[in-house]
Amino acid sequence: MGYYTSIQDWIAFPDPLANPYYPFGDAYNLPYDISLKLWNIVGGAIAWLIDLLFPGNAVSEWLVCDMTANFFALVIFMLIVFMVVFIAVLVVLWEERKVLGRAMDRRGTMVGMMGFLQCVADGFKTFMKDNIYSKRVDGMTYWWTLSLIIGTSVLIACMVPLSDRWFVVDYECGLLIVMGLFALAPFFILVSGWSQNNKYSLIGGLRAAEMMISYEIPMLIIIATVALQAGTLNINGIVEAQYGTLPYFIPQAVGFVTFFICAIAESERAPFDLAEAESELVEGWQTEYAGMKWGLIMLADYLRGFCACGMIVILFLGGWNLPGVHLTEWESWLPVPELTFLLKGFLVFFIMVIIRCATPRVRTDTILNLGWKVFLPLAILNLVIVVTYKAGGIF
Amino acid sequence: MARKSKESKGQPAERGLWSPYWREFGKLDHKCWKDLWIMKPIWVTLKVLWRTTAHRPVTVLYPYEALWEPDNYRGRPGLDFNKCLGCGMCVNMCPCQAIVLVDCPDDGGNTVRRPQINIGRCSFCAYCAEYCPVDAMTVTPDVELAEYTRSDLIWGPRRLAYDKTTEGMKVKLETTLISDFKNGNGERRVEPCRVDHPKLEGKKCISCRKCSKVCPVAAIDMVEHGTNAKGRPILWPEVDDDTCVGCAQCVEACPKDALHIEEVL
Repeated sequence: MGYYTSIQDWIAFPDPLANPYYPFGDAYNLPYDISLKLWNIVGGAIAWLIDLLFPGNAVSEWLVCDMTANFFALVIFMLIVFMVVFIAVLVVLWEERKVLGRAMDRRGTMVGMMGFLQCVADGFKTFMKDNIYSKRVDGMTYWWTLSLIIGTSVLIACMVPLSDRWFVVDYECGLLIVMGLFALAPFFILVSGWSQNNKYSLIGGLRAAEMMISYEIPMLIIIATVALQAGTLNINGIVEAQYGTLPYFIPQAVGFVTFFICAIAESERAPFDLAEAESELVEGWQTEYAGMKWGLIMLADYLRGFCACGMIVILFLGGWNLPGVHLTEWESWLPVPELTFLLKGFLVFFIMVIIRCATPRVRTDTILNLGWKVFLPLAILNLVIVVTYKAGGIF
Repeated sequence: MARKSKESKGQPAERGLWSPYWREFGKLDHKCWKDLWIMKPIWVTLKVLWRTTAHRPVTVLYPYEALWEPDNYRGRPGLDFNKCLGCGMCVNMCPCQAIVLVDCPDDGGNTVRRPQINIGRCSFCAYCAEYCPVDAMTVTPDVELAEYTRSDLIWGPRRLAYDKTTEGMKVKLETTLISDFKNGNGERRVEPCRVDHPKLEGKKCISCRKCSKVCPVAAIDMVEHGTNAKGRPILWPEVDDDTCVGCAQCVEACPKDALHIEEVL
């Protein structure tokens, strides 16, 4: 009987908070916990096998030490966070196509699983396409703005926390980071439209820039108002403040409606899809992007749409808490608060789809009118209302 | 308008919250207000959404679900072989010249003439069904007609049979003339072709009997009108108007152009 260790000696399912390299401070992080335990299974099994062959070697020890476990756990953590957001976006895509179809007296997508697999089919289709691009484009801006648009969209989608334990960062100014990254895309769109050597793209880019100056200011005023009422810019804090009092769409009804429409404009969805007005400009600023480039841009569009829904849920609908049910104190590993958050997001997206279906695209002058003459006064009115609450000591 | 008239009088335009913009905004029918007023289309959309979700959309999953066809849906033509006279009315009427009369044996083994249709040329106008004097030619709801070769597209008289013929598939040609209305007769004339009958120009007739031989309904009798210089009987065709279907086969068969169709309508 030679040297033998049980596999159970190598797989111990450690407590993530006990890891000295745990990156999230005191807060418990569910996806990190899952990924740490996943790595413990995989790395522990590999370490056990190597240890059987070469008893007492250093590689096995290295594979299960705290620092290595933390590194691989973070890699798996990123994958898990992105996959959840990605699948949520596919659901959003499916929801939009189905709801839009039914609202138009059609059936919507029909490929597999009630049409859900159409997203996968579209992904494969765009993946198979040729990578066509014009030689006359300005190469650096053409490629860099593309990756920056997609990159920032994925980043903000991952930055939206699904619950107090499902987050990537938990800064005190987390709200500002998300909104700041959100507002970056129109700059990239402008530069991208300029770089493509195409009049449609250029018009699309200019429209994106023009649109941004009209909705961004009321939107930021409303965010500041919400932060004022909650007394914090921390996303957890805002959600907790809403559980303590009321979901903010009741006291700030004006701001809620304004923010909702601004959020549709922010994610550049119809009726505010001026930049890619496919009936006027060919595909707007996306005209020269073919194949998988375009597929990723569409994915980024929907990531931003979902992210806008997430922000609405966080700011106005009470986040992952239900009225009377304090899901922040949820103990079990079952992802109930996360699913609550996602379902609320899908509900908000449903209303967005209805608005897309019901309204025609705004003109360039109309969006300016709306932004400066309607939304801005409404946002300031909302601010006045909240200041009155605060001064009156109601909230 | 108000603003223009004030400026024309030389008064300074009002500014700020008292400007005409805000005055019109307060009336709630200003452009900006209408821009915000999106509740009506949203309500309409939600109604449609509710209806199509609770019941079903209008879209039919065609290859898997049967399409609904109205009774006289104009698919391929169908033919009742034994009812057909072989009069050739459909051949004359076909705008695509898709129909020819072919000789084929009937149930008793006698050779008869029946229409054969090239579906590749057919435009599904159903003129053949409209003009058929005995409703042997009908429309059918059959639209799945794809074949692998062009020769398969030629449908013979037996293949044209359709067993589920309903009354609606026997398309009737109906006409109402303005003159009818003026005369106080607003009823539609069913099968107006029945009114057109061949007329004889007696001087040209050579008593060859071809017309009576080709008549598919045996409506032509050869009646004696005296004798000629050689003492032989002069036979002129006499058309039974009740039996005649106006198919004009006699007109085509006449070697001396003695017959022509007199159009009543």
